[in-house]
This record gives sequence, C-alpha cells and structure tokens, in this order.
Amino acid sequence: MAYYVNRNVKLTWWERTYIPEIIRGMLITSRHFFKNLFGFIPFFLGKKKEREIFTVYYPEETVQFPIAYRGRPVLALNEHNRPNCVACGLCEIACPAYCIDIIPGENSGKQNEVERYPVEFTIDYAVCIFCGFCEEACPEEAIFMSDQYDITMLDRKKMKYNMKQLLVPVEELKDRMDFCRKMYGKWNY
Amino acid sequence: MWIDLAITLAKIVFILAVTVGFFAPILTWVERKQSAIMQDRIGANRADIMGFTALGLFHIMADGLKMFTKEDFIPQGANKVLHTLSPIIALIPALLTFAVVPFGGQYEIWGQKVNLVISDLDVGLLFVFAIASIATYGYVVAGWSSNNNWSLLGSMRTASQMISYEVSMGLTIIGVLMVYGSMKLTDIGAAQESGYWGIFLQPLGFLMFFTASIAENKRIPFDAPEAESELVAGYFTEYSGLKFGMFFMAEFIEMVTIGAIITVLFFGAWHIPFLSTATLISMFDFLGDSFANLIVMLIHVGVFFAKVTFFIFVQMIIRWTLPRFRYDQIMKLGWKILLPLSLANVVVTGIIILALE
Repeated sequence: MAYYVNRNVKLTWWERTYIPEIIRGMLITSRHFFKNLFGFIPFFLGKKKEREIFTVYYPEETVQFPIAYRGRPVLALNEHNRPNCVACGLCEIACPAYCIDIIPGENSGKQNEVERYPVEFTIDYAVCIFCGFCEEACPEEAIFMSDQYDITMLDRKKMKYNMKQLLVPVEELKDRMDFCRKMYGKWNY
Repeated sequence: MWIDLAITLAKIVFILAVTVGFFAPILTWVERKQSAIMQDRIGANRADIMGFTALGLFHIMADGLKMFTKEDFIPQGANKVLHTLSPIIALIPALLTFAVVPFGGQYEIWGQKVNLVISDLDVGLLFVFAIASIATYGYVVAGWSSNNNWSLLGSMRTASQMISYEVSMGLTIIGVLMVYGSMKLTDIGAAQESGYWGIFLQPLGFLMFFTASIAENKRIPFDAPEAESELVAGYFTEYSGLKFGMFFMAEFIEMVTIGAIITVLFFGAWHIPFLSTATLISMFDFLGDSFANLIVMLIHVGVFFAKVTFFIFVQMIIRWTLPRFRYDQIMKLGWKILLPLSLANVVVTGIIILALE
C-alpha cells in the first residue's frame, strides 16, 4: 500500500507571505544557537545535571552502556584465582563463528579441586561476531560479554587473545552476571 | 600628493586585510561552528597544535595547508586557459565591489581630509551592479570549461538565476535612489545620519534586496547552482586545490559585500542611531580636534563592521534554517513575485515622494 503525502496543504494568507514563517524558523534556529552557546555554563558551574549537546568526545569520553550491551566476551576469574571455566566445550560448539579454541586439562580429582580446567582458552576477536551464544551456553557462569568494544589492532594475530588476556575478576562482572541469571534463568532464581 | 597616495594605499590594504585576511578565513570557521551549535552538535575542534584546539580555530590553518598542498587537477578535455582563469574572474569582482563601499565618513585629521572609501564614484551603486554581474562570467566559464556535465548544468543554473535576480535587485534599489536622490554610496550613507535609515523608508525594498542578494550569492536557499545533492558540487565540481579555494573565498567575500551594501543602503551605514557625528566629536573634544576626529573615525569603522557582521550572521542563520528551493520555485519567486513587487515599490515610492512635496 502506497503512502500518499497530502501536498495540497491549505496555507493561510499569513503563511503564504513567507516572511513571518521564515522569521519563525529563524527564531527557532537562533534559539537553539544561543541556548547551546551559553548552555554549557550552568553545566560547568554544577547547576545543571545534563548537557544540552549530547555529542561525546569519543576517545576522551565514553558512553556508559546499558547492562544488556554485548561487548567482547571475557572469562570470569573466581575468588580462588582460578577461572570458572571447566573446559566443557559447550561454548566452543555454540559459537557460530568458531572463534573459541579450548585445550582442556584434567586434575587428579582431589578435594577442593575442579576436575577439568582449561589449559589454554583462545578467542579470536577478528572472527568473533559478538552474538553472546557462548555466554548463554555456559553452564558454569564462566564466560560473559563485557562492555568493551574497541578492539583494534594493526596485526590480525594480536586479535587472538589467550587466557591470560581474557581473564577478568568476577567482581567486575557482577552486574552482567545478575542480568544473565535473570535473562536466561539458568538457575531458576 | 604622496600623502593622498599613501592614504589610498592604506585604505586598500585595510579592506583587503579585513575581507581576505579576516572575514574569509573566519567565516569558514564560523559557518562550521555556528551550524554545529545551531544543530545541537559540537563542531570542528580536532585540529590542534601542542594539544591546544582554540575552539577549532586551527581548522582554518589546516584548510589553507590542505588547499595549498593538494594537486591542482585539470580534467581531460578541459579548456586549460579558461579553467584556470575562471576562479580569478569569480573572485576579483567580489573584491572589486568594495572599492566604492564606504566604511566610514569624512574626517579631518591634522589638516588632511580622509574619506573612508577607496574610490568615491558618482555612479557608485551602478558600479557595484556592473562589477557584480561580471562574476556571472566566472561561474559560467568555470562550468563550461571543465568538460563535465554536472558543471555545465550548474553553470547554466547560475546564469539563469543570476540574470533573473539581477533584474529585481536593480529595480529594488531604484526606490532607495529615489528617496536619497543620489547614486553615490557616500551620500546615501551620510544622508542616514539623522536616523532616516533605509529600512524605515524602504522596508519592502530591504526585504526584496536581501532576498535577491542571497540569490545572487547562490547560497542556501538559492543554492540550486551548486546543489550538493543534485549536481555533486555544480560549477566547481572539477576544481581542486587553491582554485576551489578561490571559489570558496569568493562566496564568503560576497557575503561580506552583501552585508556591507545592505548596511550602507538600509541600515544607516557607519552611524550610531541618535548619535550624530558632531555630537560624537564634541564628546571627545577634550583630546583636541584631530584626536577627536581620529577616535570618531575608529568608532565609525567599528560600528560599520559590527553591522556587517550582524548581516553576515543573519545570512548564516537563513542558510541553516531554510531548505533549498526547487528550480521552478526560484524562477517563480524571481519573475512572478519579486519583479512585480519591486516595480510596485518604485511606483508607490514615487507617489509618496510626490505627495510629500
């Protein structure tokens, strides 16, 4: 169904003289001009919470992303200074881009020891599509999407992050963890 | 004689410094920054020297450097001579019009009469129109000689638009000439000292002249000749480097010229309202006659350029407020509205002048 624009708008005589309407338009633009020209002063004096202009100076300023934002996936490092990961390989299978590469290792199975752990865990960010399937697939709350997105390198090989680079303390991922529990309902909280 | 020559040279240097040296570069910055602020953006501020950005003022230098170092490209099949010549033909008239525009009154400083206009022609206003219409050649030749269809289309539009609007522009001025009875721009300026500004005597004439002069300058909303979204860049599509810069500069200098002529004709030239030159001089009388004259001269020049700046600002606001006219709308406005209205303005002005006598 086509959308028809009504072009036969009836203008009043006053509007058809153009001049008052042009002046009205100019008043709107100059109001914005003067508001923005002096609008930053109360902001810097602390009298106003928000800026009038919302442009962000990117490298110096960054935007606070909502918790649902999917940045680069990271591994959680728990309080025992070990990764949460048990090297089950579910994320590896779930990954549609095949960017995850895990080499598992086994422990002896003594008390206070996880049986399996990742010897090496590699994510190739040049291949990763930031879909978040790994996070959804993970049964151990080991891999999470962070809010970092600016991974730019001149060398493609450097985009392959090993486990040391991937590990992030679990305290920093608290918010995302709560969000995931709510979202995916894994533990039926 | 030598002193006269020196004074004339000083005036020429001053005008060149103000237009080419100050207004043209500053306006490139103002246009960016003002439009940005108007549209709730931040605008150019990334060019920096040792970490100082100075509100993006260094972009002017960056622009100049870019234009100087760019390749000066002449397309295949272009007429090399005319392609090189046309930016000059476009730029020079914009500067030449300033020869007759007075930027101050007449003062007597240390026995030397100083008339703040480079050349006080009796046919000043006619000279302005004659020179301004030469610029049309620059734009038409630029489009024709670059062997490009967009350019040619742009220059055709330029020709038709400038010729159409020159007619109504000339006719709107007749009202002003009738009121002040002189073509000398200095006389017109001096006649407005008592507060009888052109805007009060010729309000319709002012609106029409302003419209026509924006159309002459080919700025938005009359920018059909260089419409980015239709014709790439119109007549200067094939220009690069400093030649493009000259077209760019011509546009900004023309803005200053329009502002100056409107100030002289309609907004009391260099005068401060309700403050005549004699009162001003008597205010500074304690400094001695010559010093008082000198200070009043500086004040008048400052007032004049403040008014010019205001009109440039208004032109910029119009640019960022109104969308582009369609081509048939431009022609309709020029021939069906402005021309009859300007003729009617002449008739009504004549009747009123006769009735007052």
